[in-house]
Formats: sequence, C-alpha cells, structure tokens
Amino acid sequence: MARLVRSWILLLILQSFLVSIAFGSKEVEEFSEALLLKPLPDRKVLAHFHFENRAPPSNSHGRHHHLFPKAISQLVQKFRVKEMELSFTQGRWNHEHWGGFDPLSSMNAKPVGVELWAVFDVPLSQVDTSWKNLTHALSGLFCASINFLESSTSYAAPTWGFGTNSDKLRYGSLPREAVCTENLTPWLKLLPCRDKDGISALMNRPSVYRGFYHSQRLHLSTVESGQEGLGSGIVLEQTLTVVLQPDTTSVERNTQPSWSLNSLFGRKVVGRCVLAKSSNVYLQLEGLSGHELKNVDSEIEAHKLWKNADFELSLKPDRVLREISSFLFIFDIEKSSDSEPFDLGLTWKRPSKWLCQLAPLHASRFLMGSGNERGAIAILLKETESQEKLNLTNGRCTIKVNIFQIFPWYVKVYYHTLQIFVDQQKKTDSEVLKKINVSPSTDKVSSGMMEMMLELPCEVKSAAISIEYDKGFLHIDEYPPDANQGFDIPSALISFPDHHASLDFKEELGNSPLLSKFKEKSSVRSYTEVLLVPLTTPDFSMPYNVITITCTIFALYFGSLLNVIRRRIGEEERFLKSQAGKKKGGLKQLLSRFIAKIRGRPIEESSSSSELQSSVLSSKLIFKIILVAGAAAAWQYFSTDK
Amino acid sequence: MEEISDQLNPTSDTSGIMPEFDPKTMRSTKPGLKRLFITTSVLFSFLLGLPFLWKSVEIYRSPLPFHDIDSLSDQIESTPLRFHCHFHAVFVGFPSTDPDNLRSQIQDGINQLTHPSSQCGSCDFSLSVTIQNSDEQCSETLAYNSSTCSYRCGVIKRNVFGVGLDDSVDESLNDVFSSCSGHSGKMYSVVVVNKENANGEDEVKAVVGKRRHAWIVGSGLEERYGDMVARVSEIFVKVFMNSGREEDSIHGEFMPVGSDGRIVLSFSLLNSNPRDWVYDWDFQRIDETFLAPVTKALAPIANISVESQVLYHTPKSSFSSWDEKLQSYIFRTSDLPFFVNSNEWHLDTSAGASGRSKILQFVVYIPSGGECPLHLQLSNGKISKTNGFISPMWGGVIVWNPGNCDKDSERPIRNKISAQDLEQIVEVFLGQFRQLFGFKSEAIYTSGLGTYKILPSERGFTEWELDFLSRKHTCFNLHSCSTTLGSLSRLVQSLPRMIIKDEIGEQVKYSLKAAKLAQSNVSLGGYSSSASSSRDARSLAENAFFHPSIMSVSYFSYEHCFAVYSPFFLPVAGHIVIAALREWKRYKQEKAKYLKWLTRKKTA
Repeated sequence: MARLVRSWILLLILQSFLVSIAFGSKEVEEFSEALLLKPLPDRKVLAHFHFENRAPPSNSHGRHHHLFPKAISQLVQKFRVKEMELSFTQGRWNHEHWGGFDPLSSMNAKPVGVELWAVFDVPLSQVDTSWKNLTHALSGLFCASINFLESSTSYAAPTWGFGTNSDKLRYGSLPREAVCTENLTPWLKLLPCRDKDGISALMNRPSVYRGFYHSQRLHLSTVESGQEGLGSGIVLEQTLTVVLQPDTTSVERNTQPSWSLNSLFGRKVVGRCVLAKSSNVYLQLEGLSGHELKNVDSEIEAHKLWKNADFELSLKPDRVLREISSFLFIFDIEKSSDSEPFDLGLTWKRPSKWLCQLAPLHASRFLMGSGNERGAIAILLKETESQEKLNLTNGRCTIKVNIFQIFPWYVKVYYHTLQIFVDQQKKTDSEVLKKINVSPSTDKVSSGMMEMMLELPCEVKSAAISIEYDKGFLHIDEYPPDANQGFDIPSALISFPDHHASLDFKEELGNSPLLSKFKEKSSVRSYTEVLLVPLTTPDFSMPYNVITITCTIFALYFGSLLNVIRRRIGEEERFLKSQAGKKKGGLKQLLSRFIAKIRGRPIEESSSSSELQSSVLSSKLIFKIILVAGAAAAWQYFSTDK
Repeated sequence: MEEISDQLNPTSDTSGIMPEFDPKTMRSTKPGLKRLFITTSVLFSFLLGLPFLWKSVEIYRSPLPFHDIDSLSDQIESTPLRFHCHFHAVFVGFPSTDPDNLRSQIQDGINQLTHPSSQCGSCDFSLSVTIQNSDEQCSETLAYNSSTCSYRCGVIKRNVFGVGLDDSVDESLNDVFSSCSGHSGKMYSVVVVNKENANGEDEVKAVVGKRRHAWIVGSGLEERYGDMVARVSEIFVKVFMNSGREEDSIHGEFMPVGSDGRIVLSFSLLNSNPRDWVYDWDFQRIDETFLAPVTKALAPIANISVESQVLYHTPKSSFSSWDEKLQSYIFRTSDLPFFVNSNEWHLDTSAGASGRSKILQFVVYIPSGGECPLHLQLSNGKISKTNGFISPMWGGVIVWNPGNCDKDSERPIRNKISAQDLEQIVEVFLGQFRQLFGFKSEAIYTSGLGTYKILPSERGFTEWELDFLSRKHTCFNLHSCSTTLGSLSRLVQSLPRMIIKDEIGEQVKYSLKAAKLAQSNVSLGGYSSSASSSRDARSLAENAFFHPSIMSVSYFSYEHCFAVYSPFFLPVAGHIVIAALREWKRYKQEKAKYLKWLTRKKTA
C-alpha cells in the first residue's frame, strides 16, 4: 500500500513537473488594457486608451492564435514586418496647451490623416515590393485608402532624420485621408473584447468623434526570441487618444470644468475585459505643487491627496504615484460590475491654473510668396517657456533639432536656396547646420526628402528656415478629382534628439504596460501643420477644345484649298458678264443670285418654268433631309446596338 | 488656263463654220479631266487612308484559340472522362468451375449496375477472376490487357479470415496484392472466402477495407454463386466506383476546392459570452496529431493549410427556447439559417490565403451561461448526436457545451477544453469535412443485398475514397476549365473593343495544354498526374478570366473615337465628296454637250 502511495506521489510530482514544463516554459498570449485621463490647462480633458497584445515567440504565428489577432500576425508573417506604425488622426495637437514634453504627446501627437512607417526584415532589394504589398493589405484591413502610399512618389526612405536608423525603413503619409468610424471599427476588431466589454466599451462613437483631436494608432514590433528555430514574438500596441471638452455646467468661469466618465463619453465601465491581464484607469494631475506632501504613506495624507480643498475625486484611488511635477492616481476597475459601474469623476472646487511641459522650441510651418509659379516654404522655431534646455556640448549650451520633411515631386525645391535665420540674423550653413541629407525628387518617379540637423544656441529666441520652390505641372491624368482644392505637403517632423521625455516615478511601478511605456525614454518630437499648395489647374475639357478648334481650322483650310484648285475663273467671269447684260430689278436679281448660289447652278432664264422647278426643288430638298435623317438614324442604330 | 482657252475658241471663231452651234448646250472641245482627276485622287487617297486610320485606333487583342476552346468543351460534353480501373475477384475455397463463365457473369452484373450513360469520372474497367479451390489450386481468367501483376495461387489462406481483426486482414490482403502497386490504373480486389467449418451459422460477413480490398466471408457459399456474383459486382460498382454515394447526391460543382487548388481550414472557437466562462484549446496539438495526416492524404487533390483562432463576445443571432422535458435549451434545425451571426463573428478571411483559395470555416460555439446546455433538435424531434451542422461550401458549426453549465465563481478563469472533448470535436469536424466532400460518415453501407462494414481510416479518407475524389476532382476541374474558357471566349467575341493582353492569351494557351495533358493522363490511368494537371488547367483558366487587365474594357469607345476624329474628318470629307460629285456631274454634262456637238457636226 505504501509503495502504491509512494509511486502515486512520485507520479503526481512527475506530472506536475511535466505540466510546469508544458505550460511554464511556454508563454501565453497576453492582453492588457488601460485608460489614462488627464485634465488639460485649457479646460479640456485628454483620454488615452492603451491596449497591448503580446504574442510570445512561436513557430505557429499566423496559424494558431488565442488572443492575438490572426490578421495582424499573418500580415507580419507575410510581409516580414519588423516594426510598423499606422496612425489615423483628425485634428491638430495643441502643443502649447496639451503638452509637448511628455511621452504621451511625443508618441501620440500625430500628423493629420494617415501616417504609416514600417521597417522590414527582407533583403534591401525587396523592401519596396514589401511596402507596396503592405499598403494594399492595410488598406483592405482598415477600410482606408492607404494603398495610395503604394506609388513611389508618395513615400520616402529616411536615413537618420526620422529617429529610427535603418535602411529598410519606409515612411509615407496621406494628409487628406478623412478618418471616421469605418476606420475605428476594424481597429476595434483586433481587440479580443472589441468594444463589448472593458475599457473599450467607453468608445461611444459620437462622443469620440465630437472631440477636438483624436488619433488612433497601431504600433507593432517583433521581438526576437534568440532561440534557434523559434520564430519571433510580436507586440501589438493599440492606442486611441482623444481630447474632449467636458460639458460646462459650472457657474464660475475660472474654475476648471468638473467631469465624470459618464459625462465625457456617455457611458460607464461596467466591468473589465475578462481576457485582460490588467485593466487599470489612470488619472494624471499636473501642476499640484501646492500639495507637495512629504510622506504619502500615512492614511490621512493620502486621503488628502484625492479629497482636498482644490478638487475631489468620486472614487478612492487604489494607488498614488508621484512624479516630478504630477500625481498619478491608479484605479483598478476589477471591482466594478453591472450593479456598481465604474464612473470616475473629478470635481474642481477652486480655480486652478497650471502649465504643461513644453517642447524646447515651438515649430510652425507656412508658405511664402504668391502666384501659381513659385513660392517658398518656411519653418519657424520659436522659443517656449520650457524648463529643460541645457545640453552642454563643448562648453556651449545648444539645442539639437532634427527636421525631416518630404516634398512631393510637383513642389520642385531648390536646395541651394536654403536659408537659415537665427534671431533674425542670416547664418551660414556651417554655423548652425550640423548635418544635412537631401534626396532630390524625380519628376513623376519619386518624392524629394530633406533631413537636417540644426544645432542652435540655448538662448535662441527664434530660428527660421526657408527654402524656395517652383511649382511643377502635372499631366492631365494626374490631377485628383478635386484639383482646385490644392495639393498637400505632408507635415514635417521636428524632433529633439537630445531631449528625452519620460515620466520618472518615485515608486515601484508594478506590471503596467502603459506606465512602463511612459517610463521609457523617448525623444521629443512634434509634427508641423500640413501645407496646402495651390497648383495651376487646367480646364479639364481643354483637350477636346483643342481638338475641335484645330480640326475646324484644318478643315476650313483644306476645304478652301480644294475649292481654289477646282475653280474656273474664266468661266465665272463670262457668266458674270452675261448676267450683267440682263438688267433686272435689284431685289429680284439678288434673290435669284442667292438662289443660284444655293442651288449651285446658273440662274434660270424662263420664269414660266420656275413653278415646276420649285416643286422639283422642294422634292429634292425633302429627299436630302430624309437622307440626312436616315444617316443619323443609322448612326444612332449602329452606335447603340453594340 | 488651257481649258478656258479651249472654250473660248469655239465661241469666238466657229460661229461661221457651224451655224447650228449653240454655246448653251454644245461644246466643240473635249471637256478637261484635270480637276476631276485632282478631286478623285484626293478622295481616293482619303479612302485609302481610312484602313490606316482604322488600324491606328485599333486596340491590341491577343489572338485567342477560339476553335480549340470550342473543341475542348465539345469533347468534354460529348465524351465523359473515364478512368481505367482494374477489378480482380478471387474466390477462395470454391470448387473449380469455369472462371470465364464466372467472369462474364460478374461483368454482366457490373454492366447492369452502371448507368448506360455513365457520368464523368467513372471507371472504364477490366476484370479478372481467380478461383482457388480447397486444395489451393487455381484457375484464372485474366483481363484482355493483362497486367504483369497476377495473384499468386495459394497465398490467401482461408483460415486467416474471421480469426483476426478486420484491420489485420486488410493488412494481409494488402501484402498479397502489394506487387500490383505501380500498376497503371488502380486495382481493386474482392476476395470471397468460403469457409469449411459451417458450424450452423449462416451469416455472411462483408467488409470493405481501408485500401482497395474487400472480402466476403461465409460458409456454404458454393451453393449461392448467383448471390455472390451479385454482391461482388455490387462492391465493385457501388463502393469502389461510386464510393457508396447515391447517384448525383452532390454534384461536382460542390467540390470545396479553391480555383487555385488550395483549401484553408479556418478553425474558430467562439466564446459567446466570456463573462460566464472562457474556454481555450490547444489547437496546435490537434493540428499536428489529427489534421496533419488528413491534409497529407488529400495533398493530390488540394493544398490544405490549417489555422485557428479564439474569438470572444460572439452571440449567435437567433434565440433558443428552454425545453422542460429535455432540460436544455433547444435550437430547431429549421432555424439554423439564423444561427451564424455574421455581424459579430469576425471569422475573418485569411490574409494568408491568396485571392481564390477556398476557405472552409469550422466553428466551435460555446453557448453563454444563459443558454446552456444548448442542443440542436432535428426536425423529427430528436436531439442531434453531433450537435453540429454543415453549410455546403461554407463550413461547419459545432455546439459544445461546457461540462456542467455552472458559471464560474465571480471571476472567470481561462479553462482549457480537455483532450477527450477535443478529440470528440475533431471527430465531428472530420465527419463534417467528409460531408463537405460528399461522403457519408457511417461505418456501414447498406444496399438491397445486404450490409457492408466499412473500415474507417485514421487519415479520414480511405484509399478507394481518395481515388474516387481524384477521379471526380479531375472531372470537375476539366469541366470548370472548359466552361470558364468558353465564357471567356464568348465574352471576348461579344466585346470587340476589349483589350486582351498577351498574358491572357498565354494563360489560355497553357490552360488548354494542361487540359489536354490531363485528358491524356486520364486515358493512361495516372490518377495523381491527371488531377494535378487538371488543377493547373482550371487555375490557369481562372487566372485568364480574372486577369486584372480584362477589366479595362477600353474606355476608348466608338463614341470617343468619333468625337475625336469627326471635327476634322467630317467637314473635310464633306468638301471632298461634294467637290468630287460636282466635278463628276460637270464632266458628264460637258461631255454630253461635246457629244451633242459631235453628232450635230456629223449630221451636218
């Protein structure tokens, strides 16, 4: 008996060991959801949804999946994508009021329309084909015209200006793409809970699209497993950033508007997505320096943090994290249920004002010049009230600025006209320009690209870069349907490689993908406005007009030439002479001449036979008319019968 | 100038000579031809230019072999494809009789059972019969096109049958006939064993094996020759030739193979409400252990790939009702069209599949807590045993109820479907998959003469079923190829302004070539080679028909052509034609005048 028991135990141990091998070593696909809420200084509220889906390294990618979307995995497998980011944005990020020096803005402030970049894991010669196939696949997947990025005139291969240094990187953007629900629905389809459950249930379409800014982003990267014979893992990060205006019911004008999730979105969270490993809601409050508390540990102090004279939260946070200039309240929505929905609210009691962190320089871009022939593009960098500027190189405080810009080929940029002004003073290239890389455009073949690195002194007030261009002519086939609207020049990317934005928490973070993302150092970047260049648009009926006019002239010339050739001058003169002999009443003669002209034969002598003649004439005329009508009918018949 | 002077002369000085000359109606000189010549030459040069203009606005059309296409479709219509099969009947333990007589009897029996107008993909058989008496001496008659592979007398021992399992009998029979492998066409054999020891039981057992063999075992069979002959011919025709299906139960058009010869099996596990419970499966293991042999076995017919996913929040689209008697929720078969919820089931067409692959969806539906257990009720009121259904050409659905329909406590955890349950599910899958191909999944085939036990294969399909499939598939492919090419040729002929690129012409050419090759392979008896070349023929034909350039149905239409060219040619042509007519008329007139003058001169 004892032996039996022992063997049983042995077996059990062995079994558990085997099970632990089978399941422990094999990682599983993981999904997590998070929502970050942040009141903005200009009485708006930012909501940032963050979903992360991880597929561990496996050989069965694209074939067997449990949580990870099959479509994305197949995309990665088929086109050998190493890293990719796709964003759909509507509205412009307000760098002055919504922040320019935090990870949130540098990662999620995107240019208007669609932006796509991808790094491939294929031989260099196949990168372009992979890119083209990828754009087509994505446009099918996301119901957008991403396939317009297929043509070589619409994308570029940045070398260092974009931030990722790889020669297998391709970048393209479509500023004019309209973003709406039809793009959000396929995006949501990639989430295991879609918008049925969990935090994503908040995405009420009317309230999301009523916002001032929304940007949905999909970022995927492959993680090499390092093991021989095992494929790579995939991390899929999906974010939706919305800036909303809470309904202002507060009487006082100065206080920030109070809000709750229900008032912002019209919905409440009734439970977490059961498939998510973690589902948290974060509330970030900036500029609470007045409440700098020494020890958060004590219960009363902590309580003071979320219920004080300035503001009050409707729920008790599970944790509070402190950052240099902000507090982060963490709520776990696990406890919420149908009967007790999670509805976080923030009530302001006193007027409060704060400033958000700004990028070292504020960038804007505009067009100069007038007319349809030439112009100039100017990028203006202005000083901000940013705190962090210092970057000492060779004992001098400098700010490094990277500018990455794509020009469509019909904007023919003259790179020698590049001028740089620092504090309204023209500087030579060697003074401020550290590095520049230019790839000129080829007509109808490829777009132009400019990458440059400036090194400006810290005390700079303003810096301007201008470059002149000629407007090209497009072939009549190349104009889009609404050619008179003008053509878009994609946003320029301004990045500060030496400035890194990250949230530096004093406490231990725990396992939260969103916070660990924020903790990573990311270089500060911002996109400029999209420019609208009016080009000369032709009259699109022009080819037909030209054809008709030239043909008519040719026909006239040809006809008259033929008439001249077969003219008999002597005969006509004799005829006129004989006519002159017979005097008639002026009017009658004119009439008879006119008739003669029409009939093309000499004037009849006898007036007696004119009656008969006219009847013959009328019958002939009728015959002619019938002939013409018959020809027309035949033409009609043959042309429609096909 | 000359003409004018010519005309001037008669009026000036002929009045004296010819008193009757009337300048209005007569002329003394021959009318000139110069202007007429100029105008007509211009007219003719225009007319000559017309063909060149026509040629210049012509669009490129690659010449298609219309005649060959027509002849191919005629050929396929008129003479159905017949494969060569070889049937071999072995009678063991029978007293020596004339094998030729027996052979003609079986032949008659087979001919009776086959339709006179045999459908496409049937067998063109040859038959050989061997009789082995109890002393293990043989008398045999071989088919006309006698094969090298013949049955070695005495190899089959009577006592093998009925002792061991059917599977081992099948294996031993395979060893006996293994020398026939590599034989052109396939050889099917039926062994009739007359057992000696008739210990009262009069039961006759008939088994069809996994390979290409069947056997009938019984005692006292020598008295029932006629019955045996009928049963042997029935096995040949109904089982081996028609694979046990009813005549035309499923047409060849329902062959669920994509036109590029690929099938994607997409398995989805649907958790209709993950708040109640969440189930996951280890599909990779299923794929490796159960599905890999099946996909390998079907490789000559289609290139099959397998993928799986788990989806959540996927309710079905219609409601079920609670049945008190059965203590379960009931979904009637009449409501099945409303089961699949295409709004919420994002089964996703696979991005890995190319455009024309066939995707078969297999769905395991786990009902939510509010409708558990869920059972499908047949129209006769019984509960479906498999709890699943198929939709031809789409796939199948299985409802799987979690063991006990108790909700998990508060927080649902991710359960795994147990291995036993998964195996059951896979069995139903395989049955559904076979059904999509038109096979039955019962282990017993019943006909008028008795029942036959059919041994199931672990690969899902037995060899004789695969043979049947490849025969049908070849036939279906060739048929579809010919109809596709036929429609292409009709389309091309009906649209004279359609651009046809060279690629299309090439594809049509190669498709015809592959179809010809398939036909010749069929007559040679090469099953897999004919199947693969027929697959090529079909996919090439489809490629030609769906070539992207075929959509560019020339927007440069006749109307456009007319609009561009008429502003020049219409006025100019008007001028020229009128001028030529005038000149011609004038020439006739003047000539008449001249003739008149001539006659006047003559009479004078």
